[in-house]
Amino acid sequence: MSVPTNPKIEKETVKVVWKKSRQAKTIPLNDQMVKVYVWELPVRIFHWINALSIFILMITGVFIGRPFASASIQEEAYYSYLMGWARYIHFFTAFVFTINLAVRWYWVYKGNEHATSNPFRLSFWKEAWETVKYYLFLKNKKKHYIGHNPLAQLSYWIFIGLGSIIMILTGYYLLFEPQPESIYGKMFMWVAHLFGGDSFSVRSWHHLVAWGFMVFTVVHVYMAFREDYLQRNGTMSSIFTGYKIERKEEVLGENNGK
Amino acid sequence: MKRKTILETVLDRGFTRRDFLKMCTALAATMGLDFSETDKVVAAMEKSARVPVIWLQFQDCTGCSESFIRSTHPKVESVLLDMISLEYTEALSAASGHQIEEARKHVMKHYYGEYILVVEGSLPMDDAFLTVGGVSAKETFIETAKGAKAIIAYGSCSSWGGIPAAYPNPTKAKPITHFVKDKPIILVPGCPPIAEVMTGVIAHIITFGTLPELDHLGRPKAFYRHRIHDKCNRRAYFDAGLFAESFDDEGAKQGYCLYKVGCKGPTTYNSCAEMRWNGGVSYPIQSGNPCIGCSEKGFWDNGPFYVRRAKIPASQTTINPETVGAIAVGVTAAGVAAHAAITAVKKKEQENHDRGERK
Repeated sequence: MSVPTNPKIEKETVKVVWKKSRQAKTIPLNDQMVKVYVWELPVRIFHWINALSIFILMITGVFIGRPFASASIQEEAYYSYLMGWARYIHFFTAFVFTINLAVRWYWVYKGNEHATSNPFRLSFWKEAWETVKYYLFLKNKKKHYIGHNPLAQLSYWIFIGLGSIIMILTGYYLLFEPQPESIYGKMFMWVAHLFGGDSFSVRSWHHLVAWGFMVFTVVHVYMAFREDYLQRNGTMSSIFTGYKIERKEEVLGENNGK
Repeated sequence: MKRKTILETVLDRGFTRRDFLKMCTALAATMGLDFSETDKVVAAMEKSARVPVIWLQFQDCTGCSESFIRSTHPKVESVLLDMISLEYTEALSAASGHQIEEARKHVMKHYYGEYILVVEGSLPMDDAFLTVGGVSAKETFIETAKGAKAIIAYGSCSSWGGIPAAYPNPTKAKPITHFVKDKPIILVPGCPPIAEVMTGVIAHIITFGTLPELDHLGRPKAFYRHRIHDKCNRRAYFDAGLFAESFDDEGAKQGYCLYKVGCKGPTTYNSCAEMRWNGGVSYPIQSGNPCIGCSEKGFWDNGPFYVRRAKIPASQTTINPETVGAIAVGVTAAGVAAHAAITAVKKKEQENHDRGERK
């Protein structure tokens, strides 16, 4: 399938405002194809820790909200600690999730051009719109992106960016609300005002946004497989190895725009 | 005229000083003070005079008054007769009509800046729903609040809007904090609040002449510091993962956690689990009924009482997050499958097309 390209849009490839973004490393394979090191190691590590922690958080989270299993010893409370463990794993994973995200934020500044995104440009939104049309099988001017397309970037801003922040704030509020005088309690008490004021509202946000992550996961995994199927550029293996196989002129086209 | 101190009133009524000290000790304990601070309570009661109180009722059910008169520590008669001078109340006053309104006006004039205003019930935005003797509830409240030293909102209606403000809120009911902002207001939510909490708040104001320490929502920390869940007598069953699945199963008989039958304990701030009700006899969860979260904002809309739900933000609607979430994921998966099918077909078309071109 040929990829429609528009030289006009191609000129304005993703550039960040605060620094000149570092170009991805390339290894030429032959006179037509190059291997591009798109996802650097920290990005891949972030991706898999993030995926695994969301998986664990969701399972333990649903169990905490709606316990679908009971303790096997139906006697006194003394003999089991099922909910206690579910909560413990949930909280531990939450800290992993948070630290992981913090490292990824650091890599936004430190990483290569594909580790960042700048939505404060008109071309970002124009290209995102072209991508929407592309996914709706309409006539479009979407170009081929070596990293994420702007629509994908937007989805990460919304779910991995904003969604994670909502989950982190509401989550730590719920964790620390029994100790309002503690330093952690004080750090997160204001969160309640942002999410409706009372404990029930904060909890509701936490439950609803969690399912937002599930919807995101379905679409994200599908889109990745679809890209791989259509482009045959190693999208799926790239999240393990970091490399995508791209045509030379595509890579040069992106880099010339800088 | 010099007003009698609380100690003098107690002695006049035939109690000994020893009884008085006992009362003060019980009071200090109720307020959550350390035993060593009992002397402060005694000193205050020896010096301060009874505080005049005006108790206004608006869109309420008198449940808070009913709860108040069941206080056991301190006994309600000692609060009513020794500590406060309840000058105006619809439920308990012998006088009525213009007579009682006169009494209110009298207190407002002679004890300006000294009396405590107690409010039970919410206020309607539309005056047509509550106007007594030609004066709207809003007017009565704002007028009475002007000279009050402090305002105590008893119950969830005056604190949050409560049941009158529940969906669809026909009267456009609002909490009292919506109408008066320049006075210290203590929220004592609950439907009704615990009797000892109600008297404890008044006792604190009399003892120290200041408001008790309040949390970020304006509730006294001494009584609304903990969630029911954190002090629950069934908490061990929660942590163990032992839940009553219905009200008549073996778990319910064994006293297992009521989380799965809709207990709102984890989101409810109140002291039911510590102070309990009816003189410390029991409280809903102990008696086998899940907490309905009556002291929380919008508790009526956070229902139904016996299921676990999540609220759609900025609405008065609750949904089952797991069901709705699973449906959302299912719909997305179906959409993805359809999209994948179209993609495959398009790709085949394109390939056939390309092959045709090459030939």
